[in-house]
Amino acid sequence: MKAITVTATLGAVLLAGTIIGFLAQADEFTKKDQERWQNEYMAVVQKGRALWTSAELGTKGVACAQCHPNAANTHPETYPKFQQQLGRVIALREMINWCIQQPLEGKPLAFDDPKMIALESYIAYERRGVRMDPGKH
Amino acid sequence: MNDFRLNRRDFIKRAGVATAAAAFPLSVVELAFGAAQDKFTFAHISDAHIQHVKGTEFVRNWDRGLIRAVAEANLLTPKPDFVMFGGDLAQLGTKEELDHGAEMLSRLRHKTYCVMGEHDYYLDLGEYWSKLFGPHYYSFDHKGVHFVVLNSILTYDEWTYNRWPTARQRMLEMAGLDNPNGSPFMVGEKQREWLRADLARVAKTTPIVLFSHSPIQKLYKGWNFWTEDAEQVQALLKPFPTVTVIYGHVHQIQYNQVGNITFHSVMATAWPWPYPQSYAQAEHAMPKLTVPMNRADPFFERDATGWQFIDMDTGRVMMDYNLYNNTSRVVAYNPATRQPEDRVYQDPSKRIPPQDHY
Amino acid sequence: MIKPRWMAPLIGVQLLFIATAPGVEAAQKVPLGLPPLPERATQAASPEKVALGKKLFEETRFSATRQVSCATCHDAGKAFTDSPLSVSEGIRQLKGTRNAPTVINAVYFETMFWDGRSPSLEDQALHPFVNPVEMGLKDHDPILAIVRKDADYARAFDQVFGKRGPAVTMAEVTDAIAAFERTIISGGSPFDCYYFGGEEDALTPAQKRGLKLFVNEGRCVSCHVIEQTQALFTDNRFHNVGVGITAIQQDVPALAVEFLKTRATLAEVDIQVLSDKRTSELGRLAVTRLFDDIGSFKTPTLRNIAVTAPYMHDGSLKTLRDVVVHYNNGGVTNEKDRVNDFLSGGIRPLHLTEAQIDDLVAFMESLTSPEYVQPAQL
Repeated sequence: MKAITVTATLGAVLLAGTIIGFLAQADEFTKKDQERWQNEYMAVVQKGRALWTSAELGTKGVACAQCHPNAANTHPETYPKFQQQLGRVIALREMINWCIQQPLEGKPLAFDDPKMIALESYIAYERRGVRMDPGKH
Repeated sequence: MNDFRLNRRDFIKRAGVATAAAAFPLSVVELAFGAAQDKFTFAHISDAHIQHVKGTEFVRNWDRGLIRAVAEANLLTPKPDFVMFGGDLAQLGTKEELDHGAEMLSRLRHKTYCVMGEHDYYLDLGEYWSKLFGPHYYSFDHKGVHFVVLNSILTYDEWTYNRWPTARQRMLEMAGLDNPNGSPFMVGEKQREWLRADLARVAKTTPIVLFSHSPIQKLYKGWNFWTEDAEQVQALLKPFPTVTVIYGHVHQIQYNQVGNITFHSVMATAWPWPYPQSYAQAEHAMPKLTVPMNRADPFFERDATGWQFIDMDTGRVMMDYNLYNNTSRVVAYNPATRQPEDRVYQDPSKRIPPQDHY
Repeated sequence: MIKPRWMAPLIGVQLLFIATAPGVEAAQKVPLGLPPLPERATQAASPEKVALGKKLFEETRFSATRQVSCATCHDAGKAFTDSPLSVSEGIRQLKGTRNAPTVINAVYFETMFWDGRSPSLEDQALHPFVNPVEMGLKDHDPILAIVRKDADYARAFDQVFGKRGPAVTMAEVTDAIAAFERTIISGGSPFDCYYFGGEEDALTPAQKRGLKLFVNEGRCVSCHVIEQTQALFTDNRFHNVGVGITAIQQDVPALAVEFLKTRATLAEVDIQVLSDKRTSELGRLAVTRLFDDIGSFKTPTLRNIAVTAPYMHDGSLKTLRDVVVHYNNGGVTNEKDRVNDFLSGGIRPLHLTEAQIDDLVAFMESLTSPEYVQPAQL
């Protein structure tokens, strides 16, 4: 009984997949798709750059770019890692919040705040090509 | 470790290294050559970046950096001959910032000279600066050394006079280190002519020390660690066998030897900058000779900031980088190798983990 | 992590067995929340040596008036301090200038004393004996006379070190004292049970909020270190946090230069800093002669801090709340005071609310190990 049920189910799934595949070919993205999505990403990178150089994240007019020109010395490739300033292993966005709160004297961002995503996007973009090295101090 | 009754000679002999560590009373280290009257010291404080928030409030972090440097410089015993301020006293060149910075500098108990920085200049092209500190470029002689101060953060006329609708906009554009709308620093023809005439009156045997804000080298254009007419300025200095250029702007330890010229950067009192090798997309020409400063812990606001005092001996410089929260670094001209070297860390096997920047 | 449940009834402290390096004898077990013992201390001393060290620690005959021992200022019943004294009192109630630090977990310090002038527990033990305001002896000879001739001591030194008569020196005396001190370790506090032991209910809501503040807005964790698997609550470094030096800051330049001109030996420094309050405020400068150390003092551990009042190197802050307020003010006890020029870069105004200050205090109260909780606390 079990074997027949399994075979029947499998057959039904394969049939459905073939029909759907014929209609949509949903898993074949094109070069144009890639370009478009890359531009979507770069739009957010630009937002991140704007935040990076603006004083709006803090309350004293200090900007990220003052200490991190071109997001240098942020080391996104080393996260998650043990962060001495927080005493535990964290992800990059937690350190972004640490910097916003401490040197910039601003309010921390929610982890899913579009601004946080934009900042991470910009940081990662300026570090493109560098090998992952998680945990490195 | 019970008895640390040391005088400086014992310390030097014991350490096997001649170093004027950031301690006081300060005594001039006796190097192997030179008569006593050729030795003197001066202090160098730079890049305070006093930043106005609103009303009477300034960014506390940068204020504390300058306050501490001034307080420590005042403790030097015996007193240094003078203090040089290396530029970027203000962050956006406003009267409030320059006044607040000047007030803090005025607590120095020593004669003070100043170098112009771009953050001081681009709001009003140095007009208020001149009222506080005098000329933008000048020279003076002291104990047999010819000192020159250049305004090396000028740039192309088009950018300075025509590009921006307001002075404030111009200042903001130049204030961003990594701003693609910036413009390369230069000394410019007028000052090069002045320098040529000034040096013509100086005997070729006289040691020269040139103070500048930009590096008088081409190190990394993206962050204006750059002087567009560096070669021409260096050419003017070529006839002199003993030349040192001391520059600010970079907020980190750098040193180099180019022909007859020894280069030393100075630390900022405000905040440190990453080394160009930390920017993965950069192509740079940072001197291989430099052993980097320690990486900063951003929790300690004074980490990787500091000031320096300089021992002069027969016109050669020994620079003691007085680093907060870190062991001080001493970089001195080595007559044997004819280049500046760190007294402890120059040998790669002596390096320590915090000096690894990536 | 192994948590042998059958051990739980034992003192109420959970023990963690630490793996030893190959070739080293079984290390002393460390309580929950403590890191492995430093290399020098991994070899557990024999019970006989520890007992000898304890006896020496409590020996009042090693003082000019035969009334003061180490235990006078480091009283086991007061978490190894002399709480509530601000500064310690030696022979004839002579006052020093500094607050007695606890011996608990001192094994983890890399230097001893508030200014780190001693590199080890053994060395540290030498100094109070010959300090005029502590035990007041001229030199160590009276101690050696006793330990060589007293029957009980002679037997003990022979048993522990195989030495007798003139072969017994201060090296053996301090070795034993240090061995005893190394056994004074504690962890397993409510914080440890929560943070490392996974016990969600070990901390109250206020204490949990306090822990968050400790790591974030409070800016405590960089010096009072908590890490992923253990927490020492000290970075073993020295910082000027604006206690004591604020009141004399106008005099600091003259004081410092004057002090350094005298070129004191370490033994002389030991006496000066405890006899002259103003010199005491120079902190680690007296030891290293570096600009960076003006007014700097060692970060103490916060373990058992609730039972070791009063606080700071001069005992000038009476309560934990006073301490948090001092840091909240950005390194001055009175808000209106001028911040001293040499303040550590880690110290700045915190802008905490009253409720947040209370939460931080509550958190610090969770750092007391069960064996040191005092009745008044419960």
